[in-house]
Parts: sequence; C-alpha cells; structure tokens
Amino acid sequence: MRTSARRAAVLVCAALALGSAARAAWWPFGEADDRKIKPVEKLFAARRYPDVIAALNASFMQTLRGADLRGAYVLRGQSYDYLGRTDEALGDYQVGTRLYPKSVELLTLEGALLHRNGLDEHARELFLSALRYDPKNPRAHLGLAEIEGRLSFLDRSATHYEAALESLSGRADVWRDYAQVLLALNEVPTADLALRKALELEPRSADAHVLLAFARRAQGDYDGALLQLDEAADLGAGVGALRAKALWLLEAGRLGDAAAAADAVLRAAPGDAAGLWVKARLLLPKNPPRAAEILAPLAADADGDGASFSARAARALRDAALAAQRAREDRLYESPQ
Amino acid sequence: MRRLAVLALALLAARASAAPDLSADALLRDHLWREVRRAPAGARPKVGLVLSAGSLRGVAHVGVIQVLQTAGFPIDVVAGTSMGSVVGAFYANGTTLKRMWEIASHLRVDSGSNVSGRHLISLILFDRLLSSEKTEKMIRTELKGKTFEQLQKPFACLSMDVYTGEAIIFRDGDVATAVRASMNLPGIFEPLEYRHRFLVDGGVVDYIPVDAARLLGAQWVIASVTEADFTASRPKNVLDALEQVIDIRGAYLSREQRKQANFLIEPPVGDIGMFDEQRIPEALEKGVIAAAQRLNAAEESLILASIPKLAPLWSRSAAPMPAPAPTPAPSPAAAP
Repeated sequence: MRTSARRAAVLVCAALALGSAARAAWWPFGEADDRKIKPVEKLFAARRYPDVIAALNASFMQTLRGADLRGAYVLRGQSYDYLGRTDEALGDYQVGTRLYPKSVELLTLEGALLHRNGLDEHARELFLSALRYDPKNPRAHLGLAEIEGRLSFLDRSATHYEAALESLSGRADVWRDYAQVLLALNEVPTADLALRKALELEPRSADAHVLLAFARRAQGDYDGALLQLDEAADLGAGVGALRAKALWLLEAGRLGDAAAAADAVLRAAPGDAAGLWVKARLLLPKNPPRAAEILAPLAADADGDGASFSARAARALRDAALAAQRAREDRLYESPQ
Repeated sequence: MRRLAVLALALLAARASAAPDLSADALLRDHLWREVRRAPAGARPKVGLVLSAGSLRGVAHVGVIQVLQTAGFPIDVVAGTSMGSVVGAFYANGTTLKRMWEIASHLRVDSGSNVSGRHLISLILFDRLLSSEKTEKMIRTELKGKTFEQLQKPFACLSMDVYTGEAIIFRDGDVATAVRASMNLPGIFEPLEYRHRFLVDGGVVDYIPVDAARLLGAQWVIASVTEADFTASRPKNVLDALEQVIDIRGAYLSREQRKQANFLIEPPVGDIGMFDEQRIPEALEKGVIAAAQRLNAAEESLILASIPKLAPLWSRSAAPMPAPAPTPAPSPAAAP
C-alpha cells in the first residue's frame, strides 16, 4: 500500500513537472506565468514604449528563446514604430521575420511599416506570405486592400477589403475606405450600403457623409447628396463641403441656390476657384464680359508648368466668354445691314 | 499575447483613413469631367485612343484600357499598330475587359504563329519564314469574323507594303486579316498577300498611328506607348538583332509621332523583350499603374480641350445639359 501510494505521488509530481516544462517550452498550449518578457508586455500595454526599449536591451535579448524572443521583436519593433524610430523598427521586424519566417504577426507588422512608407512592392510580398500561413488574417488583407487600391487594382482591393471586414466589421474607417474603392469601381449602390454601415458605427464622421454625398449624386439623387453635404458641413467638413454644394447645385439646375452657395464659398474663402467658377458660369448666358472679368484674376495664374487646374480651366472659360461676346457683337453689327 | 494583439489592432485603427479630396482643383475637375462625359455629340472633341506597336510589351495596353474604361473615359475611335492593333480590335469590338485580360494573360510567343524548334531551324538555315496565320484565326474566332463596319467603335490598323514602303491604313473589310497584316513581323513572318499588296508589320512605318486616328475623325488623341528601351538590350543572335533594329526604328519613328498626340501614357515596359512571355503579367500590371498615375492629368487635358466647345452650350443656358450619358458614376478623382 505504502509502495503504491509512493508510486502515485511520484507519478503526480512527474506529471506536474512535465506539464510545467512543456508549457514553458511550447507556447501554444498556454501562457506560462514565468515567461521572461511578461513584465515587458505590461510596460507595452501601458504604452511605456521607451521603457520597453530599455528593458529589451541586447543583453536581455540574448537570454530569450522561442516565443519570448519572437514576442520581444514584436514589442520592441512596435515601440520603436510608435516613437517614430522607423529604421530601428524595421530592423527589428526584419531580424524577427528572418528568425521566424512563419510569424504572421511579424510579417504583417513589417508589411504595414513598409506600406506606410510607400514601399508597397515589398509590403505586398510580406502580406501575401502572411496570408499563406493565415488566409483570413485581417491585417494582411487590409494592407493588401490599401496597396492594391493605391495601385488602382480596384477589384483586388475590394476583395481584400471584404476579407478584412469579416474580422474588422466594427471599424468605420475600413468601411469608408472600402466604399471609396467601390465608388471608383462604379459599384455605387454597394458603396452606399457600406457608407451607411460606416455611419452607423461613427455617426459624426464628416468624411463618411461626404462620401455618401458622392454616392447619392452618382445615383442622380441630388437632394440626398446635398443633404449629406449639409450634414458634413455641420460636422466640420469646412469650405470643401460648401464648394461641392455650389458646384452640384449648378449641376442640378438650381441656379438661384447655386449663386447663394457660391457666395457662401467666397465669403468663407475669398477668391476660391470653385466659387468664382460657379458665379462665372451663371453669368455666362447673359453677361459674358462680366463672367470673363470674374475669372480674370484666377486665369492670370494659368501660365507656367506649376499652374493649377482651376487656373487653366478659368483661362479657358474666360477666353470662351470673350469669344462669345465678340461673336455677339459681330451679330449685332451685322444685323442692321 | 492575445491582449497585446488586440491592442496592436486598436492602435492600427488610428492610422489615417484617406479623406475625400475637397480641394477646389479636385472638385472642379470632378464637376467638369461630369460635364464632359454628359456632353452631347459635338460638344466635346472626338476622342481617339491610339495603341502603339510593341510586340508582347503591347499587352500593357489592356491595363491602360482597363483604367480608362473604369474611369468612364469617353473613347470614340480606336487605332492601333502591331500588338496595338490586336488589343485595339478587341476593344473596338466591345470585348469585355475580363476577356481581354484573360486573352492577354494566356498569350505566348506561339499564340499567333507556327513558331517551333523545327520552324526556327528552317528560318535560320533555309530562310523559310514563319506564318502568322494563327493570329488571324484567333482574331476571327474572338471577333466572330466581323468586318470593321460591324465593330462597336470605328477602328483602324496599320500595315506596310513591303514592296513599296507605303503605310496602309485598314478601316474597312475583314478585321482579322488586317490585324494579322498589322502584326506581321518582317524577317520572321512571310509577307501577307492581301488586296494586291505584300504586307508586313505596320510598326516598321507607323509606330504610334495618331494619323490613323485623325483619319477616323479624332480631334483629341490619347496614346498608349509601349516603346522598347533598346539601350538596355545586347543582341546575342539573329532574332535579337532583328528585334533590336525594329525597336531602334520604332523609337526614331515615335519621336515625331509622340508630338502629334494630345496625351501620352507610357507604361514602363521598355525592358520587356519581344519574346518575354513570362513577363506578360508584369506588363499588364504596369499598364494599369501607368494609366492610373496619369488619369487625373488626362482628364484635365480633355476637359481643357472641351471647354471651348462646351462654352457655347453653357452660354445658351446655365441649366444642366438635358441628355446625361448612361454611366452615372462619379470620377474617382474626387473620390480617391
């Protein structure tokens, strides 16, 4: 009896010891309480990034192995990144991905950093690698969606946004970006839906209201579009929303309202190109010389390689207005004969 | 670690989402682009799309067309030479972008010819030229044997009479034969006897056929140019040397022709060789990227060319034009 009890006790102890060793060595079966970087994780969670970097110094890093070492590269890289020390962050991610080429977290972090710095070609490879190990990884899909969108591969971008939104459906900004891609793809009703979802999540987003205004206008719903622009203006979209309103009222044929809106733009931003354009367009049928006069200051800046589009367009319309006036005068001159 | 991952994701959320561009330039461009697209016939310049020669590099034209079509760029007439004539024929036919992309992706050196080891040896040892008959068959199948008159958009393609050196512009009759003649590389394919002429690739005499588009009535021409960078090439054999000579000739020809176009899109595919079929996906993507980068500038250029024609309409009434074009989408310029 004694012998069997002793055996049982030895077995239990051995099992406990083995379990503990296994937990420490093989991280997926649970987080060991005695992990060396646990205190550093707490510093990171408290957003004490300089302390994280100080704690993860070279001598401490040499003592780390396995999941601890991989986690250390993640923590230190992100800390550098949040402090704006991009080169050092990239260095940590690169060493990390070389040591742990299947670490989806390191791959996506390095990809995101490269993407933010315009190195999309390399970023795309990293995100695609991440998707090989984790096909639904939202960060990789989001990164790819942005890269493909930036390069104008709009279909691919939309597909990646859709995959990302399976996990990030609570992110209003992702819904907005997705909607922008859909608008560029002319998939306007779907963009409208996506923007309504974005506004459900973030009702006070001026950007979402502006985009919804574009979607409504694209569907021919000018009343709806103008309503959204008003909402955006109330939420601080600034003179941009007023500009759009003046131009769109002109498109909708609401000429009196367009004139009032152009005045509002010019009050908020004197000399604004869009405001002047609307006023000139409204004057063009009855008073071409006055239309030309309004555009003259803007048109004066149309020369040179750096001239803005507005200035060049103003010059073209001014010249057309003057030509129209000359033609009108020629007709008047010819008619008595 | 999971908590940390959630935190990282939350911090990632703080990244700046691209805000809509509400600058005066962007909004005015968007507004005027809409006016240009809604303009009735005659109230804007007739727009010609010109697709240059460029052998396999020319698949980049498909990428360019994809961007222009998605942006609702109004194209009234199409002209092409060599590979530009193949892509142009599909586009003028109304072939879907998806199908064009599919055809381009599966193009191989032997897609349009009877090239094989045996035939190449015959070419080199016995001066026996290859046949481009497969090109004709492929085009005929895709276009269901259409004539120029049956295409959705007016289309012209270029060839050269190898006996007289004349540039021959095809704009009527059988499309497949004309396109075959247009991409019938001299020195590799036997001249095609058609309409009492012996025809070879039009790229030898008219690399960027702006004049053909003008002949179809184009008043404003946007050209996609897939010229070779011959300085990067070091010919190692007869075929390479022939390619080099054609590329150099094309570069000289295109110098003047570029000036005749109103707007150029130049995908950076110059280092892709005539037989680099493995780089076709890259060429397609470069076409998309190059066109997207130039899209706003292209729209602005066409708007400025259209204002003198639109102004008389605006002078009659400030009210909107009565007949909107069927595509209702916004310009991606203001909704980036």
